[in-house]
Amino acid sequence: MNKKSNLTRLAMKGILVLLLGIITSGILFANGGGEKESDTGQVLKIIHPVNSGNWSPLNGGGHEVRWLSLQWASPMYFDASGELKPYLFTDWNGNAGSDVWTFKMNPDATFSDGSKITADDVIGTWNLCVRPSTQHQRVNLFLSNVVGYDQVAAGNAKDMPGLIKIDSTTVEVKLSQPDPIFYQKLATNLIPPVKISQAADANGEQISEWWHPKNGVVVSGPFMPTDMDLDQGVITLDKNPNFFGPEPKLDRIVITTVKDAQTATLMLQRGQMDAHTELNTPTMIQDLGPEFAAGAMLAKGHHFWLSGNKAPTDDPLVRQALIMAVDSKQMFEAAFPDGPNEPATQLVNKVTGVDASYENFPYDPEGARAALEASSYKSAENLPKIMFVGISNPSHEAAAQYVAEQWRQVLGIEGTEMKPNIDSYEGPDQQNIQIFRDDVGTRVPDMVSYLMGSIHSSSGNAQRKMGGYSNPEVDALIEEAATKAVDDPQRIALAQQAQKLYRDDWHFIPYRYDTMSKWAMPWVMDMYKNDDWQVIEPWKVYIDETGKP
Amino acid sequence: MGKYIAKRLLRWIPTVLVVLLAVYALAFFGAGDPIKLIFLRAPGDVAYDPVRIEAMREAAGLDRPFIIQFGDYLWHLVRGDFGNSLVSGRSVGQMIGHAFPITLKLGLAATFILTIIGTALGVVAALNHNKWIDNVVSAFALTIWGIPVFVSGPLLMVLFVKVWDIMDVPYGWHGLFHPMVILPLLVLSLTPLALIIRQARAAVLEVLGEDFVRTARSKGIPSTGVVLKHILRPVLTPVVSQLGLVIINMLNNAVLIESVFGIPGMGQLTVEAITGSDYPLILGIVFVGSTVVLTVNLLVDVVYPILDPRALAKKETIDE
Repeated sequence: MNKKSNLTRLAMKGILVLLLGIITSGILFANGGGEKESDTGQVLKIIHPVNSGNWSPLNGGGHEVRWLSLQWASPMYFDASGELKPYLFTDWNGNAGSDVWTFKMNPDATFSDGSKITADDVIGTWNLCVRPSTQHQRVNLFLSNVVGYDQVAAGNAKDMPGLIKIDSTTVEVKLSQPDPIFYQKLATNLIPPVKISQAADANGEQISEWWHPKNGVVVSGPFMPTDMDLDQGVITLDKNPNFFGPEPKLDRIVITTVKDAQTATLMLQRGQMDAHTELNTPTMIQDLGPEFAAGAMLAKGHHFWLSGNKAPTDDPLVRQALIMAVDSKQMFEAAFPDGPNEPATQLVNKVTGVDASYENFPYDPEGARAALEASSYKSAENLPKIMFVGISNPSHEAAAQYVAEQWRQVLGIEGTEMKPNIDSYEGPDQQNIQIFRDDVGTRVPDMVSYLMGSIHSSSGNAQRKMGGYSNPEVDALIEEAATKAVDDPQRIALAQQAQKLYRDDWHFIPYRYDTMSKWAMPWVMDMYKNDDWQVIEPWKVYIDETGKP
Repeated sequence: MGKYIAKRLLRWIPTVLVVLLAVYALAFFGAGDPIKLIFLRAPGDVAYDPVRIEAMREAAGLDRPFIIQFGDYLWHLVRGDFGNSLVSGRSVGQMIGHAFPITLKLGLAATFILTIIGTALGVVAALNHNKWIDNVVSAFALTIWGIPVFVSGPLLMVLFVKVWDIMDVPYGWHGLFHPMVILPLLVLSLTPLALIIRQARAAVLEVLGEDFVRTARSKGIPSTGVVLKHILRPVLTPVVSQLGLVIINMLNNAVLIESVFGIPGMGQLTVEAITGSDYPLILGIVFVGSTVVLTVNLLVDVVYPILDPRALAKKETIDE
């Protein structure tokens, strides 16, 4: 018996020593670990939530584009007050018909190897963006009016004849139709001129990983990539010594992939990291403070879109019932009890033309019940399951749960389901989703552009999120407004009329207008982002070391 | 034994082919066209232009019939080429070549730790059957078995980092011997540790009543000797047979653990592949995964007869 006890004690002692050894070494050494750091100087450490392994500046989408302004100079940009500023392009002029535009480039503009940025680079980049194999997601927003766009986009031609080199620093752009705000559309980082001889091969196709430092990439922005570990998802950018703008205050930026929101929050709280690409949790303000999420209001709104070609939302009375059963202000508060952002009412926000006379959908439980009774379905029991998609973070989840609960209480609807992506649904459900949570907005401060991208029948939003929404009267008003000059009052009046007509079609539950949160801790100074998600004037950003924990 | 291994390997080839075909078909005929998904998932300002999307699909070779695409994939696979990721354009072979060793190292280290600790705790519990030590060990095993890793991972991190404030957030992969690996290793080991403890305890209890143990004791062999020489060996047999299950369990848990701790292993790669409907990457992972499962099961089958020669005789009888 004694011998057995001795053996037990020995085994227990061994296990304890092993466990204590593991934990002690963890405690002793864990504070010393971490990513590669600069020995001296100002280092900004950013958390990035995805690792797609593709940092091409010509994708026009994905989370990576949100840090493009660090590496790439845009043609122009909107500053923190919304004023258009010259950058790579210093001068622009349109003809009287607004269908021919001339752009003069900064003659001192250089890539990080000191070579000049030329008109050939601009034209080559834009052609490359339009070619299908590049898979640029948003090039149509900027260049779809350029002569020859459709041919190149369909893969039937390589170059757009509407892009003309006048001299080594001047580009002329011919449009297929008048576009009074074409120059504003170019104030984006999503089509940044790159060194075309490096990005495209002899066939005019994008070269694999040309943007990787191992391939000697040269950039035009204030920071240049010096190390990219695509497996770990760690990107290191250092100050570009040949940047043609002001000297950056930061010496290095390290972007590290951290997918888990809770882990990311802990790292930010402890000062292990300084900023995040996009963090959305209902407790963000309590966890990281109001300054983290502070920022200017964007011309962008998130809403719940009701499909017009899926049962039961193909019945306008059902849509009306679903919309009137929801108090959108309370829904917003469920998602963002402490801010940031603002509850939405009308479709457009933060552009000239926001309609003071616009009446929001009423919250009217009685009216909602009456509308459902008058519909072809008569009552909640006859409705098929209502499915949401786009419920991709905790805030959206809180808002969608609130909507579903209101429907249950007001209309007696029990069958609802919510998932992040279309492909999260299986089988026939994928084809029958009725509610899409998604955002719409504009990159230029223009109401017509806002409506064109959200409710015009050609927009992705109308086609995909509202099930092919098409109101010819709405389309005609927007199209007519688009031909009017920026300062023509008719431009706004027509757009406002289109928005009111759209409202009467009952197709969306207003959710929120977005603040362009800086998603940075208080010790990150002078970091502001524009409507294009980009850090405005990244050369101004610096770290106040005294503010770090 | 050589004939047995060869037979197992030959059986593996059609199994993998069927699995690859099924996975490819699921990806192809499901909602998973990767180019379409880029646009379907994109925010509303991205226009869904069918003509341009079709041109992109053609450029990526996704417009070809299913059988041609699958045949093309197999042809490249036979030559050791897993193809390129449809999302990042990177070589799938290189991506897996980087991720797999990380998960393997983590998995092997966890297996090593949990086998030692689990067997020791199981033996201790059995030797103290129905006493307080047995109750504590059994309760511990039940508890860790009942806590899923998506709870234990963040919970331990909050405890160590936030509540006790004794370490920075462990994140990323800096090598197996880096302290940052301790917490993920601990979490990865917890659930399978319960399996090993329970298995070892049950096996010792069974063996303690056997004649050869009584004989050894009656001959005056010290208790330590009885345990190490006579009890441990038969106990290891069921423990080893559990290792196949344990490793599969760890591969599943790696998906969550690697996401929480930012470890760029096979788990994270799998999540990226599935969410991006990146078929070449999904197929590469399935191929490597099925190879691992086969290898582990084969190793278990090889080690089992070494620990218990009766098993080989039984197997040969069945095979005949």
